[in-house]
Amino acid sequence: MTAVGQVLRLTLMLLRAYSRDFSALFFGFAFPLMFMLIFGALNFGTFRVSLGVADEARNPDSARFIEALRGVSSFQVSTGSSLELQALLEKGDRDLVVLIPQDFRIAPAPAGARVPAITVVESRGAAQEASIGKAVLASLIDQLSFAVTNTQPVVTIQSKVVSAAQLRYVDFLTPGIIGMTIMQIGISSVAFGFVSDKQRGVLRRIMATPISRRRFLAANVLQRVLLAMLQVMILLAVGVFVFGVQVVGSVAALLAVAALGCVTFLCMGFALAGWCTTENQVPPLTQILTLPQLFLSSVFFARDAVPAVVRPIADVLPLTFLNHAMREISTGGATLAQVGGDLVGLSLWTIVGFAAAVKLFRLESS
Amino acid sequence: MTPIITVADLTKRYGEIDAVRGVSFEVEEGEVFGLLGPNGAGKTTTVEILEGLRAPTGGRATVAGVDVVAHPQAVKARIGVQLQASAFPGHYQARELIDLFALFYERKVDAPALLRAVGLEDRAGQRAEKMSGGQRQRLSIAVAMVNEPRVLFLDEPTTGLDPQARRNLWDLIRDIRSRGTTVMLTTHYLDEAELLCDRVAIMDGGRIIALDSPKGLIEGLLAKGFTKPVLQQQANLEDVFLNLTGHELREE
Repeated sequence: MTAVGQVLRLTLMLLRAYSRDFSALFFGFAFPLMFMLIFGALNFGTFRVSLGVADEARNPDSARFIEALRGVSSFQVSTGSSLELQALLEKGDRDLVVLIPQDFRIAPAPAGARVPAITVVESRGAAQEASIGKAVLASLIDQLSFAVTNTQPVVTIQSKVVSAAQLRYVDFLTPGIIGMTIMQIGISSVAFGFVSDKQRGVLRRIMATPISRRRFLAANVLQRVLLAMLQVMILLAVGVFVFGVQVVGSVAALLAVAALGCVTFLCMGFALAGWCTTENQVPPLTQILTLPQLFLSSVFFARDAVPAVVRPIADVLPLTFLNHAMREISTGGATLAQVGGDLVGLSLWTIVGFAAAVKLFRLESS
Repeated sequence: MTPIITVADLTKRYGEIDAVRGVSFEVEEGEVFGLLGPNGAGKTTTVEILEGLRAPTGGRATVAGVDVVAHPQAVKARIGVQLQASAFPGHYQARELIDLFALFYERKVDAPALLRAVGLEDRAGQRAEKMSGGQRQRLSIAVAMVNEPRVLFLDEPTTGLDPQARRNLWDLIRDIRSRGTTVMLTTHYLDEAELLCDRVAIMDGGRIIALDSPKGLIEGLLAKGFTKPVLQQQANLEDVFLNLTGHELREE
């Protein structure tokens, strides 16, 4: 029997036991699904980008452009002077301000000639809205240029944003619920399972057999990654087929980020399992690790809902990075490179978690 | 004949406490060897060192031809263990637990045959957590036999069992011995040691204070002029209990 064969068979055996564990199934699978269905059905209004437009050209072309912006239903368009709009942006009343220059026109430009440059100012407080707004804006401008130059778009992927047009609450919610579930499965399944097995002497019994610790742990990690990814796909499928959620970016990129998130939270789970000596410690310590992230990491509500005082902390929580990256991909069509900052953040947490797990987690007593 | 277990000057220190202070003995192939002693005598620590579960502080030990100190992992493949106060992973049927442990040894086994050998053939589909104490102990012996071990370590196997279940387990241990497997048994029950063991070592305070066959130990004591203050009864309460309730194993 090869090492891989042993690990895979053990993974299957672990999955079989999991499939009979009613409470694990409830908290790992049914619970997030209920959240998804309830919050998805509540649908807290549509998600809108508040867009300020300062028209300095005041010509038919700029009017046509503004008309096109108003046609995008996820935009709430208001006009005004550049100065007053930027003041509103500072106060957080606008997510994005678009400055249309005096020389604006919608016409083919000869090669090498200066083309009118639209300036976009974004609010730092509403990064989510601003980035979605920019993505929609970019594709709108592309469409206008293609229409003018009578060419076919070279890349069509971005035009999906405009056709999706309306970003609803459930579109915002789905990546958040997925992130929450990854955190729950990663931390709870390891902490609850291993501490109970440690306390009952199960691990001691297994370590009395010749299986290598490495392979035993590999199967346990693989089992949980598979479970979490299965749940991610179930939630995504419910989002897409029940609520009509549109994943703008690549599903593969979304799953890749989800997998990284799994690893991050599994490391934390192993660290926690090593820290706890009795089963009684597991529920409160799990809550201490997960609850703040549940409320501060934009699972259900955008970052604006987080009080400004705790934002510096909220911004560096692992679930914040995970949710932000998945949301950018899912609703804003971002690529993996565009969410690189989040991936770096998640990776740093993974390193911290892994180091803590190596330090704290033991399969056997000395 | 070379002994299957050789222990020489074994010591184990936990911080300030000397749990094992220089233990030496040998176990012959095919015998049932008992390790007796009060709680804290160092029995379990000694056995766990031989099982490759703990590293000794000093001394040497060889089990089934493997140097336990140098290769604790290798010895695990050649022995079977039944640990005190341990449990099986949850949510598995008896048959699946046999297969799961066979996987740990990278073996394929005939699970029904192993269950038949311990009298659990009709419990193959039952979850371990739903079994009675006696059934669970028999299952744990079946699991300990998945790798056809040369030595079987049993740590207090009959603790907490009713008289019928204890007798049933004794028969099983005799049966395992008759098939040539060496058994190393730790127990609190002296009647059990007297009935099952070819030789016993008595430990106290981390040392072996006596080692002989049960008969030899008793004769040695009598030779020192020991007499029981009360005349031995012809029957005891356990005899009454078994006479009334029978030897038949109860299905709890």
